[in-house]
Amino acid sequence: MAIKRLFIANRGEIALRIVRAAQALNIETVVAVSDADRDTAAARLADRSVVLGPASAAKSYLDPRLIVHAARESGCDGLHPGYGFLSERAILPRLCSAQGIAFVGPEPDVIDALGDKLSARAMAKAAGVPLVPGSECVASAADARREGDRIGYPVLLKASAGGGGRGMVIANNRDEAEAGFHRASAEAVAAFGDGTLFMERFVPEARHVEVQLMGDGKGQVVHFGERDCSVQRRYQKLIEEAPCAAMPDHLRAQLHKSAVDLAASVNYRNAGTAEFLFDVRRQEFYFIEVNARIQVEHPVSEMISGFDLVQEQIRIAGGAPLSVAQDQVKLSGHAIECRINAEDPARDFLPSPGRITRWDPPTGDGIRLDSHMSEGAMIPPFYDSMVGKLIVHGETRAEAVAKLTDAIDRFTVEGVPTTLGLHRAIITHPDFIANTIHTRWLEQVFLPDMAAKAA
Amino acid sequence: MTDKCADLPANLEALLAEFAASGVRELHLRRGDFEIFLSSDASARWSAPAPGAAAVAPAAAPIAAPTAAAAPAKPTAPVAAAPAPRAASGPVPADALIINAPNLGTFYRAPKPGAANYVEVGSKVKAGDELCLIEVMKLFTALTAETSGTIHSVLVDDGEMVEGGQPLFALVRD
Repeated sequence: MAIKRLFIANRGEIALRIVRAAQALNIETVVAVSDADRDTAAARLADRSVVLGPASAAKSYLDPRLIVHAARESGCDGLHPGYGFLSERAILPRLCSAQGIAFVGPEPDVIDALGDKLSARAMAKAAGVPLVPGSECVASAADARREGDRIGYPVLLKASAGGGGRGMVIANNRDEAEAGFHRASAEAVAAFGDGTLFMERFVPEARHVEVQLMGDGKGQVVHFGERDCSVQRRYQKLIEEAPCAAMPDHLRAQLHKSAVDLAASVNYRNAGTAEFLFDVRRQEFYFIEVNARIQVEHPVSEMISGFDLVQEQIRIAGGAPLSVAQDQVKLSGHAIECRINAEDPARDFLPSPGRITRWDPPTGDGIRLDSHMSEGAMIPPFYDSMVGKLIVHGETRAEAVAKLTDAIDRFTVEGVPTTLGLHRAIITHPDFIANTIHTRWLEQVFLPDMAAKAA
Repeated sequence: MTDKCADLPANLEALLAEFAASGVRELHLRRGDFEIFLSSDASARWSAPAPGAAAVAPAAAPIAAPTAAAAPAKPTAPVAAAPAPRAASGPVPADALIINAPNLGTFYRAPKPGAANYVEVGSKVKAGDELCLIEVMKLFTALTAETSGTIHSVLVDDGEMVEGGQPLFALVRD
């Protein structure tokens, strides 16, 4: 049954994005807010907002029982979790289901299965999706040499019982594999009381690519192309693009097929993203994980496909079939998104909550801003510091880069420091323009350079 | 059973006595605009009052509305919140202490359906006295007074959803 009144269990720009998508579908909206978020853009635009509790996320956005109680008592028949918070916690769809509320997302059992790394890898393997080449248990230096030769160098020797980098050694050749075995095994014994190791191919300069998926829960899955999210700091994405311009077409087709096969094999329902490591040197990709939610960076896929993913999510949760077949998904041009955070890059990205005193964003053809901010808006200190996402679309990557540079130059924010200037420096860097970056580039190359120049 | 239902609620007492003695765990009855739900489980409760529902509670057999009836979404109900004071003795004095809901939940004035309310307008309370229950998905939390005084007004109806920070009582301090 189509959803008539949607409960939005999130905040910030994504809550506003979901309210707008629901309104476009003539669906009533109720936004959950914490005490600190009473006056947010989403709360004002929605038909109603309900205060869950205090500002602390644990007592508001992270309490599944509170959220489902509020959804039921406000007469909602659908619930959208957004991203972050409880979006990938199976308890939320389970509680919803017990109350007859349609959850905008996958089945809880699928969330659980994909959330467990080992079971997700097993599912990927069963669906024929490439995994990082690796070994079973490695018991001796001779084993390590043989497995290293088979996997291909460099390899990573890891403690089976391990974590936190202890008992972990990189080996670039056969001799290092032998020596590395002794060292890693000794470290593992010391740290975990168990010297058992396994080996995995090490990809020193990988790109992060991911495929946007949408499933009907009955085995039909379409993809909306891939994204490249290689500009990362501490595993947090800063800039995302679509498509991955560094990937050749034949590999791209394989990537899409792998992602669709995996999702179809579990009858995936609603929006999801299959994440991969792209080894540019070897021209291979390996499965990382599936994110069972709409992602922050979904707008770049919308910009190249002209398709509204959040509206589709809500329709599917209401029982509708997929509204497009794969051959109706037309991807064109290049899109780039930068996440604007209220952080001070000059002070080690210190989060800087406060009041926005001036907010003057650029507008124009191919420019999109997903933001809940405005002049006088408050960024509370309790949650993440993202104030919006600036997205551009151009015919080519070069055109998109130029358009984003110009858009940043015309964007004025006052009251709090933001990462806008940092984004401009990144996208105008020769490595970014040449598109030779990888997931460690920002931390290993760009930020040290920036610090050296500032000194 | 049909005979006894014929002139409910006149035969209510007899029905309750028989329910309590029968060992039956739950009984849900509806006749016209009269509806009753009996349960031997003291933790069974209203999650929201169904229109036309009635409740009477003898000590032996606690009664609760069926949660199933209230559980499905109610898309036909108006979306707007219902504010406004419900029971008061005149305007709230400026120096009255407003007691707010700590979080969203369903507001109950009594420890169980049919039992006496924790407090009424004019009740004297002291610090630590229970004032109401806030229910979140069957978890009941008692709200207690932090200071002694007299209940001046009760600002929310029994069984209504309240939001975090919503005023529930006005208390005039001693």
